[in-house]
Amino acid sequence: MIELTIDILTFFCVYVIITLSLNFQHGYAGIFNLGLYFPIIVGALVAAYLPGRLAMLIYNIKGLDFAANNAAVISLLRPNLSSDPLVSIMLLVVTLAVAMGLCYLLGFLSAYPSLKLPADYLALFMLCAGESLRVIGMQTDWLAGGVMGITIINPFWWLREYSYYGMALFAITVTAAVILVYERMCNSPLGRLLRSIRENELTSASLGKDANRIKRDTLTFSFTILGLAGVLHAFLMGAVVVGGYTRVDFSFWPWLMMIIGGTGNNLGVFLGTFGLVIMRRIMIVAKHYFWFLPFNVVWFEPILLAAMLAATLVFRPQGIFPEQPMKVSEYVRKVLKLEAKE
Amino acid sequence: MASRTKSAGQSHNQLDDEPLLRVINVSKRFGNFFALRDVSIDIPKKSIVLLIGPNGSGKTTLVNCISGVYKPDGGTIMFDGKNITGLPIHEIVRLGLGRTFQIPQPFMRMTVAENLLVCGQDNPGESFLLSMNRKKWRDIEKKNLERMYQVLKTIGLQDKADNLACELSGGQLKLLELGRLLMLISKMMLLDEPIGGVNPVLAHNIFSHIVNIRDEFGISFLIIEHRLDIAMKYVDFVYVLSAGSVVASGTPREIVEMGKLYEVYLA
Amino acid sequence: MIPIPIILTAVVYSFILSILAMGFTLQYITLSVPNLAYATIAFASTYLTLTFSLMGMVPYTAMPFAFLLGGAISYMLYKLVAYLRNKGTSIVGLMMATIVFDLIIYAGMNIYADYLAQVFKLYAGSFSLSEYDLKIFSIPAILLVSAATSIGLVVFFTLMLIKTKFGIAMRAVMENYNLANVHGINTERVLSIAWFFVGGIAGLSGSLYPIWFAMDPWVGARMFISIFAACVVGGLRSIYGSLLGGFLIAFSEIIVTYLLSIYFPWIWSYRAVTSMLIAAVALVEMPSGIAGLIQKLRGG
Repeated sequence: MIELTIDILTFFCVYVIITLSLNFQHGYAGIFNLGLYFPIIVGALVAAYLPGRLAMLIYNIKGLDFAANNAAVISLLRPNLSSDPLVSIMLLVVTLAVAMGLCYLLGFLSAYPSLKLPADYLALFMLCAGESLRVIGMQTDWLAGGVMGITIINPFWWLREYSYYGMALFAITVTAAVILVYERMCNSPLGRLLRSIRENELTSASLGKDANRIKRDTLTFSFTILGLAGVLHAFLMGAVVVGGYTRVDFSFWPWLMMIIGGTGNNLGVFLGTFGLVIMRRIMIVAKHYFWFLPFNVVWFEPILLAAMLAATLVFRPQGIFPEQPMKVSEYVRKVLKLEAKE
Repeated sequence: MASRTKSAGQSHNQLDDEPLLRVINVSKRFGNFFALRDVSIDIPKKSIVLLIGPNGSGKTTLVNCISGVYKPDGGTIMFDGKNITGLPIHEIVRLGLGRTFQIPQPFMRMTVAENLLVCGQDNPGESFLLSMNRKKWRDIEKKNLERMYQVLKTIGLQDKADNLACELSGGQLKLLELGRLLMLISKMMLLDEPIGGVNPVLAHNIFSHIVNIRDEFGISFLIIEHRLDIAMKYVDFVYVLSAGSVVASGTPREIVEMGKLYEVYLA
Repeated sequence: MIPIPIILTAVVYSFILSILAMGFTLQYITLSVPNLAYATIAFASTYLTLTFSLMGMVPYTAMPFAFLLGGAISYMLYKLVAYLRNKGTSIVGLMMATIVFDLIIYAGMNIYADYLAQVFKLYAGSFSLSEYDLKIFSIPAILLVSAATSIGLVVFFTLMLIKTKFGIAMRAVMENYNLANVHGINTERVLSIAWFFVGGIAGLSGSLYPIWFAMDPWVGARMFISIFAACVVGGLRSIYGSLLGGFLIAFSEIIVTYLLSIYFPWIWSYRAVTSMLIAAVALVEMPSGIAGLIQKLRGG
């Protein structure tokens, strides 16, 4: 039971980071991006490629290839890393830094076409970019084991039997930090600025705001955090199977979570994510209750997603917790932490 | 034509002879259609200048060229001694030249207060890194809020502060447009039909504000308006535009006496 | 010298892709909504071709059914999107609506593949029907059928646009929806029929795909990249531009990658990605595509 709870919790953590980043990009800045999974895959690929090979260098394991001789290398690395917390943590930090740095760069590069294209074509472009990366990942064996996938190190092996809990605790801590960061940013003048650009770029420009630069910075920041989510997911799974990072699981489901929760409302998105993650996890675990379905329950998920998406669009497009701009008195009290005026 | 198209600078006694805004031989075409042909106007410091002419004469196109929405095909625009021809909109605004829109363009799903607060310039809270640290921008926000309260009072929308912009009436949106400009500390403002569709009492109200702002802060205005009955009373100088060219200029009295208005509007 | 099989592959592929690109652009022009389910609709009918072949019939007998299936799905999708559009849903919501259909068809395809696996004891995860093809004078029939279908469709479509009343109505709706409405054209009916037609030809083209190529449930997603690239290169709002773009992208994907693979053998598996790169460059350098370039050279 505890394992199930932790499993749901960690899955929830990864998805919260993803949906809050999406809300930041779209709910606040109005950038329409359907290729959310692009930086996530980048993060996962870095986690697949880098720490294992670095560990091999450190422990002088030669003559083997991390991807081709994956099982053998892992079995050699595990005892080493189990007694070396310092190196393990260092590997974790380096992987995060490289993944986030790479995503930052990619975000910067992606911003260039994104600002020239009309909104719907940007969305498509990012979707295709994500799909292309997935194809590349699945075709390239040395990167992340191609179609079969690759097992990766666990930076908390030194906790022995508690290594899974260590990883989970790390994920929860990181998620809490991300939530705090996004909350701070969204309730600041920056949040206000992003929403103004979302509402009317021309008016924003006529107030002296460089809309292009700000949208680029938003995308870049969002990419960086999504890369973080990718790395976390990879370490939590203990393996990277690029084929598993589909547009349905890592782009469309987050979109639904944001829309159902309430686009533009961080709390709404948080709750929407919570509800849907629990629903999905329980569905997977309680597979045998779906005996009445004439087909494999795996395919029930996209159908359910489609039905929920359609229902939301038709009946409640603003979500369960729609965006609520703050009253001035609230803003003064809660955000500025001053006494209310007038 | 020299006597008919006097530059605004010449008919004023200015200590500072250099006009704040100089539009020199600006042209703009869309395909084969020439919206503006060699238009030259000057706006002195601390003055209110009116731009009039029939529909399609190129008034809004000229304002769009000046404010950076369009890039002129020919000519130069100098603002406060700097060449602003073809600069992006936000850069021109940062140099001190702001504008309003003929059809109000508020931030619909934000409150009136937020619509005004977002006008604050150089707010560290708007940077990605510093926004996370409240201490860095709290004081500036306080000042921003104080200024916002003043502006709200000036435009008379205090009790609408927490309403969403989409809930305001047409006249209130015009006031909000003005309010946004008041929040910006500009050297000059371009107003596109600030009293269009507004009742006469409110219209005179708006123009009195404009005059007060000119007197108190020394800000210049270039105003496009059709409501000559109201506008002419408040302005220092008038340019008449027709089919993309300046056909007459002078003080309001001179323009009326010239009789050119009838030709231009009724032809 | 390029081997004949490669040239044939390029030719078949280009006929299929160009029709698909043309259809996608047509749907985009009519409602200003890119149909994300488009590729999935097209490739759902590959399973029809598979079924018919397994039952012992000539694969081409699936074609009319593929047209009806694609048309029906597309029609239903149109109804949903039009309904939401009238409600005032934003472009985001409308694209989400197309995703709804994409998901359902995706699940449907996989469920059917599982079913086939059970009934016919066949791994439908990856299949190719080239062995079921007919040979006409020792040329694979697919070559002639794909060429005839594509050329026939383009001719039919062009004639329809120019000569028939319906075609003129459709042009009016594409030009200016509201104006067409005001002029008494039943825009809803015109668009429903147009989307049915486009879905139909998508299904038709898609049904031909497995007769030459290997098919798996992810082909739709990969082809979407190529379709998108073809439309970008051709010109986002130009039907004939997309047709041309389809040919260009198809040939570059097969022929150019083949030539490159002589020096870099690994490049062959990344064919789909090369289209993506071309699309990216095209978006940055010539955003209005070839059609835009031609327009600029003519008028401007």
